[in-house]
Amino acid sequence: MKIAAHLGKFGNLDASLQRLDPRSDSELWIWTAMNAGVHLLNAALHNAGVTREVDSFHTQVEGLYAVPDRTRGVFTDVLHEPGDVMHVGQPPIAQPLPSEIQQACVSLKVIEDLREPHVRGSEPIRPGAEDEWVRAYRDCVERLLGALGTKGKTQ
Amino acid sequence: MTPEEHRAKALRIEHSLARLTDADYEAIVEGAMLAGTHWFNILLHRTKLFPETRDAMHAEFLTVGERRRVAAKAADALAALDSIEALRTLQVRGDMPGGEQAARTARECLARLRNAAGR
Repeated sequence: MKIAAHLGKFGNLDASLQRLDPRSDSELWIWTAMNAGVHLLNAALHNAGVTREVDSFHTQVEGLYAVPDRTRGVFTDVLHEPGDVMHVGQPPIAQPLPSEIQQACVSLKVIEDLREPHVRGSEPIRPGAEDEWVRAYRDCVERLLGALGTKGKTQ
Repeated sequence: MTPEEHRAKALRIEHSLARLTDADYEAIVEGAMLAGTHWFNILLHRTKLFPETRDAMHAEFLTVGERRRVAAKAADALAALDSIEALRTLQVRGDMPGGEQAARTARECLARLRNAAGR
């Protein structure tokens, strides 16, 4: 997607996240924080020229994009270079990431790695863990907004 | 996971979804996918299509043969999960118009999955 669209999605998801509690709504909190972070990551990657800013949407299948014909309201499946990433490292990006984005990815990966044990699986959450999740999300967001510079200030 | 564990997860996610309005359509579509997949796994385990040691992640990721077997036992549930998953590309990873309608569709499909699993 385009940078402006990613920033809009980040704004929507971040607002939804504020209505959720990281402990009592842990599953949806984790997922929403992850999606918000991935949209901001895509905006930062496009802005840095690491990935291309194109009007296509990542599907559930790694590396496969739906390209919209907005006039006709139809979509074509296309395999192309990123484009948007679905998750950190998916699809892989060949060129090195700017340091601030790389560090944001470390924090975003903390959130992404919660999916299997706590969303798809039912491992108990240890006391206080949600504070670490919130810190990881905030670190990810702050770093990516910083990487976006003035574009990030609209958020 | 066991059906009981899937049910507990699905109900927790549905409780979280109740905090949101249709304006939160991205989170609603995703939550419907998550809760719906837990209901879907209950069906897969109950019908012995998948053992409790193996859960489906997405309906789209089932093999052609698995989809045919699931369709023979739970066609409406499979169609409902397919519909929710299709909304993810357009409304969560994409920015097509109609987000609030997508939220309503996702909730309706989630109800179909819950009913099929027999809450």
